[in-house]
Amino acid sequence: MKQQGKVQDEWIVGGHRFSSRLLIGTGKFQDAETMVGAVRASGTQIVTVALRRVGRIPQEDDILGPLQQLGGITLMPNTSGARNASEAIRAACLGRELSGSSFVKVEIHPNPHHLMPDPIETFEAARILVAEGFVVMPYMPADPVLAKRLEDVGCASLMPLGSAIGSGRGLATAGMLRLILRDARIPVIVDAGLRSPSEAAAALEMGCDAVLVNSAVAASGDPVAMAAAFAQAVGAGRNAHRAGLMPRGGGTAIATSPLTAFLSVESP
Amino acid sequence: MNLTVNGEAYEANQVESVTALLEEMGVGGRPVVVVLNDEVIPASSLSRCGLREGDRVELFRLVGGG
Repeated sequence: MKQQGKVQDEWIVGGHRFSSRLLIGTGKFQDAETMVGAVRASGTQIVTVALRRVGRIPQEDDILGPLQQLGGITLMPNTSGARNASEAIRAACLGRELSGSSFVKVEIHPNPHHLMPDPIETFEAARILVAEGFVVMPYMPADPVLAKRLEDVGCASLMPLGSAIGSGRGLATAGMLRLILRDARIPVIVDAGLRSPSEAAAALEMGCDAVLVNSAVAASGDPVAMAAAFAQAVGAGRNAHRAGLMPRGGGTAIATSPLTAFLSVESP
Repeated sequence: MNLTVNGEAYEANQVESVTALLEEMGVGGRPVVVVLNDEVIPASSLSRCGLREGDRVELFRLVGGG
């Protein structure tokens, strides 16, 4: 029987080691205090942030300060709002300047209706940003061919969608995710579409290295409690994957207790 | 002086440096990145960087996002 080692179960992305397998997005929270509480409760080490033009009169609090106060958090600016590779590259450079982090979530979705990532522009942006020294984490369709191409150009991870952003439709792409996992040599993070902790656990059981959630936490009834629930689910899913699930049965039952002669004396 | 700030016409009084403009706009000392005529201005250069008529200024900051 394989025993799980006592060594810490870390994963490496872009040369950086992490122990938490839960990435948190910081959008949609009611206020900064709830967001920070959820980030803390999640135990996450990587959070995404977005870039926005500053209005004449600043209406929102700066989120950088509260996040930096938490300590031990790697900021990953996204390129949301970019409609093509050149806009994404520009957003990535601004995000790096503001965050001091070279992690970037490449996110290019030109259609506001479905927010599906543009595979061609994403590939082009990723290729250039890798050459510019970024730790490139592309949000991508769950496509094993594109996954291999993104890995080949030097992306630090793959972030295929479970289902459409904010849809809460869960792991609709499970079959394709398995194909990506089969060949990937870099971390695979399910990004987008998750609604419940059980879906996060399922992603980790399947062999995904991590999940990224935002709406599932921010739009829940109690974001701080839900962040903690996701952390537990991710831990359970990961432990189950490491332990190895039992083989699937062939459609017939296999008894777990002896079915016959329960009153008879055990033979010596 | 007439500038374009974040794509809109803006009449600025404090134009001796980008830092002065940020103060005028109420974002002085806040973590923003400044793009002047499509060029990112490093934070360390903002106080030395003057403005000219017609300059295009864009200001960005980090907000919550997934």
